[in-house]
Amino acid sequence: MTVMTRPTPRRRKAKQGPAIPVHLYGLPRGATVAATVLATLFALFILAPILWLVINATKTQANVYQSFGFWFARPFRLWPNLKELFTNASGAGVYARWLANTAIYAALGGVGATVLSALAGYGFSRYGFRGSRSLFGLILSTLLIPITSIALPLYLVYAKVGLINSIWGMILPSMVAPVGVYLMRTYIDSAVPRELMDAARIDGAGELKVFLRIGVPLMMPGAVTVLLLSVVAVWNNYFLPLVIFSRNSSYPLTVGLASLSHAAETGSKAQLVPVLIAGGLVTIVPLIILFLLLEKYFRGDALQGSVTG
Amino acid sequence: MSMTQDHEVRPAAVTEQHGVAPIRPRSSRSRRRAELTGFAFVSPFLAILTLFMLVPIGYAIYSSLYTTKLIGGTSYSGLANYRTVLGSGEFWSGVERVSLFAVIQVPLTVGLALFFAVIFDAGLSRFGRFFRLVYFMPFAVPAVVASVMWSFLLLPTFGPYTRLAKTLGMHNPNFFSSRLIVPTIIAIVVWEWTGYNMTILYTALKAIPSSLTEAAILDGAPFTTIVRRIKLPMLRPALVMLCFLNLVGALQLFTEPSILSAFQPQAVSFGFTPSLFVYNTAIGSAEYNLGAAAAVILGLLIGGISVASVSLRRRSGELS
Repeated sequence: MTVMTRPTPRRRKAKQGPAIPVHLYGLPRGATVAATVLATLFALFILAPILWLVINATKTQANVYQSFGFWFARPFRLWPNLKELFTNASGAGVYARWLANTAIYAALGGVGATVLSALAGYGFSRYGFRGSRSLFGLILSTLLIPITSIALPLYLVYAKVGLINSIWGMILPSMVAPVGVYLMRTYIDSAVPRELMDAARIDGAGELKVFLRIGVPLMMPGAVTVLLLSVVAVWNNYFLPLVIFSRNSSYPLTVGLASLSHAAETGSKAQLVPVLIAGGLVTIVPLIILFLLLEKYFRGDALQGSVTG
Repeated sequence: MSMTQDHEVRPAAVTEQHGVAPIRPRSSRSRRRAELTGFAFVSPFLAILTLFMLVPIGYAIYSSLYTTKLIGGTSYSGLANYRTVLGSGEFWSGVERVSLFAVIQVPLTVGLALFFAVIFDAGLSRFGRFFRLVYFMPFAVPAVVASVMWSFLLLPTFGPYTRLAKTLGMHNPNFFSSRLIVPTIIAIVVWEWTGYNMTILYTALKAIPSSLTEAAILDGAPFTTIVRRIKLPMLRPALVMLCFLNLVGALQLFTEPSILSAFQPQAVSFGFTPSLFVYNTAIGSAEYNLGAAAAVILGLLIGGISVASVSLRRRSGELS
């Protein structure tokens, strides 16, 4: 998954210039209205499922099926539904545990991916060593390997070395982010001036110190983007944990919710459906908040590199 | 992507020793030290990459050449597993299904994304900033949750959308039937990825100098011409890349059908997609060697498409 544009260190505001007033395009008068209507329709298409999730997390099982899907119905069961998430009502496992697991996997995997990418990107950008070009090419080419073709091999190896159900079996592969290496390399190319590094060297700083004192502060904005993208990637990952975890106490949210949905559909004993819906709601709320707060880091040019499986 | 190697142009006069040295090339010793330092920075990533990607892939290829039998244990069987997978109608029906899926989903996603990116970039729609935020929201929704939501919305008889379709005159709608299951998954994937694609295209559009558009307007070019002659050519690299990314994603389709199968088991077969085939063979039926062979074949298929597309783009001069 090759990326075309380099992420620029600072968004150049002047380049974009003032927006061109719409009326200059000489479009028929209805064009703006038609465009707004179409955009609104698509927004409804996007928002409706999320709205449905919010509303139905407050219902009883019977009401999920029988009442009108896009409006509330009595009794209001949001709190009991949320409470049941944190008990093992389904026998499939405890949601709170999955939430904690996901947070651990995403935090350690994301930070690890960012640190490794920053180190490697810095090495590639600022030191040419023999074979660095072909090595960089090799790293980029691993992007072409589909996730399905990595998860099963990992499972086979884990079965041999006893890493099945180990949290490190999830965290360590999540640290492999070739896109992160690419993004950090291009970012450092334009954000960390060589002159500054050489000046520090003349002052007697060792290479590690040059990296920590000059490289790291200057590459921070790029690193934040890589961190966010890796956190989202781990948070959303389904195939790898599905394959390598057989114990539901190790599950992340995605696999946990999937097993909960199996339980909700097959077992008819408990009121699991609204619990499942509430679980979906609690799963997406942290990410939506994260995304709204840090929207500027999810820029298009950086996103080009993020390919989640 | 440009791979400029600018390490050659470091000032020759500055050496590891203090101050300014006589102008001469860096000594081979300090050069070697720089090489080692560079490699040291890269090596942690390389170590994890090797242990958690290259070694497993090598091991998968190795085990795909063996067969384990209940009686007789594991023995070398050459390409027998590959013959089994390639001879399996189930595997090929999955390949066929994801190809059909991709042929519809990729142009639909990229087309919608392009349409809205152009509209928002030109300021044609009101509340553009709000809409861009809304469209991007599914990026924060894991595919598992998206599939669960959509499964309920489309549930036979009870789903709100199913009721709506019935009100609109559809006879006995069942979005999980063998006829409608692929369009259903297409709708889910379009829901998930259009905003992401739109964001990338929007950023690329914003990078086009507005002087170009202004000049075209002064020349009296209508809006459609501006889009066709100025915006689209400038967007070409981004569009090609997005088509490629969406295609690779489509061929790996797994999460959505796997979750839908929880709601409607009969709608999603063993080899519904190649990824499901790999999973069900290896994990479901515990035929690891066969699953490994299927995973290798899938990797080669997708890797082959990727290599072909990269070389195509290189030839057309989009990559340097």
